[in-house]
Amino acid sequence: MNNAISPLQCEVEAIVLASDEPVSLKKLRELLGDAIASADIRSALADLETAYRERGIRFVEVAGGWQFRTAPEHAELVRRLWQVKAPRLSRSALETLAIIAYRQPTTRAEIEALRGVKVSSQMIAMLQERGWIKVLGRKEVPGRPHLYGTGKQFLIDFGLGSLQELPDSTQLMDEDEIQQLVSGPFATPPADDASQQPESEHAEQS
Amino acid sequence: MTPAMQQAPLVDEQPAHPALPPVHLDQFEGPLDVLLHLIRSQELDIFDIPVAMITRQYLEILDSEKKSENGLNLEIAGDYLVMASTLMQLKSRMLLPRPEVDDEGNEIDPRAELAAQLIAYEQYRMLAEQLNERPLMGRDVFTRSVFPETEDVERPLPQADLDALLLAFRNILKRVGGEVRHHIFSETMSVREQMGVVLERLGDSGGMQLDELLRDTPGREALVTTVLAILELWRQQHISVVQNENYGAVTILKRGMA
Repeated sequence: MNNAISPLQCEVEAIVLASDEPVSLKKLRELLGDAIASADIRSALADLETAYRERGIRFVEVAGGWQFRTAPEHAELVRRLWQVKAPRLSRSALETLAIIAYRQPTTRAEIEALRGVKVSSQMIAMLQERGWIKVLGRKEVPGRPHLYGTGKQFLIDFGLGSLQELPDSTQLMDEDEIQQLVSGPFATPPADDASQQPESEHAEQS
Repeated sequence: MTPAMQQAPLVDEQPAHPALPPVHLDQFEGPLDVLLHLIRSQELDIFDIPVAMITRQYLEILDSEKKSENGLNLEIAGDYLVMASTLMQLKSRMLLPRPEVDDEGNEIDPRAELAAQLIAYEQYRMLAEQLNERPLMGRDVFTRSVFPETEDVERPLPQADLDALLLAFRNILKRVGGEVRHHIFSETMSVREQMGVVLERLGDSGGMQLDELLRDTPGREALVTTVLAILELWRQQHISVVQNENYGAVTILKRGMA
């Protein structure tokens, strides 16, 4: 890692600070010109990220681009500066958002089936207004319901580089896996032994 | 012959079980959330749900909610009552003398479907919590646009999409209160008329902010007609719609200008 700050790093800093939204590598290449190698830009970005880890401002990769943001440790101070209270997200909003994020594209009906309750239109509208979800299209079934997915602002606001970075997405069980899990213990009828409990070894849920 | 060996005891054989603390439905997100709470807090086996016990406890919760100060909230009652009947049906199925069998002759446990639903929901409940634990923009981390929008800044105006336009309309309609009188009027001609009016107003300047365009429209109906007119003009590509920044002002431009 290069400890001294390089001219290239300085240029990247200036660009990223002056941008309204996360700056992609592509954008940086455009602005910096062909003379600069991508590898050098990448290395500058990595160095900046490391350098800012110690500071009150962080340099992070979100939504496929780079952005400066205040360190979470200083949240209280900034809220005081802006005279705002910490906004609270309702569990309904979070659950709806989680389902859309991990299952996109998905319909309202699917969300309602998973949550076991109706999803209010205001909830959907609120999530759309924040840019966290958007309509991707329609499902070609009777009724042609909207298909929902997450928007770029979701990645930015939750600090994700891409949807691939959603935590535990690989561990998420789909319907088939869950079906296996629940029918497992009951698949084979036990012998006449009345005291035998129909539990399976792999039935432990963490 | 005792009830099917493969199925768990229906009767609550645990009289020593301590009474649950009273719960209020507003702590919960829905019937699945309540059931999960009952199962997890009492450390019951989700693969071996004691149906009679759970049903009893669930119904007790609904009952105490009905008797509480505000009664059972009508908006959510439906979902909770559906689950109540599902549980009661499950209870009867468990009482059948012979185990249920599917098309292939395999035995099925009537509780499997509910268990599956609960597990699926529990996953998302956990993921939602995890999302909330991340540093959230506007709550834990902050960023600042350095350059405020000025009129002098020459930037190519990005095309707004339909969502943005509809959102802008929604906000404007919200501001205009009043009743919508239900009477049939010649919609098509009104919209056409408004299309002409809008084009005229855009006139020489070539463009106008949506807010300004709709400002002097009297009443909700006229507003809706104008909104339809704008959408039709856009569809027919007589105008374009642009938005400088997310949730910023929407500008309507006559095609062929800018």
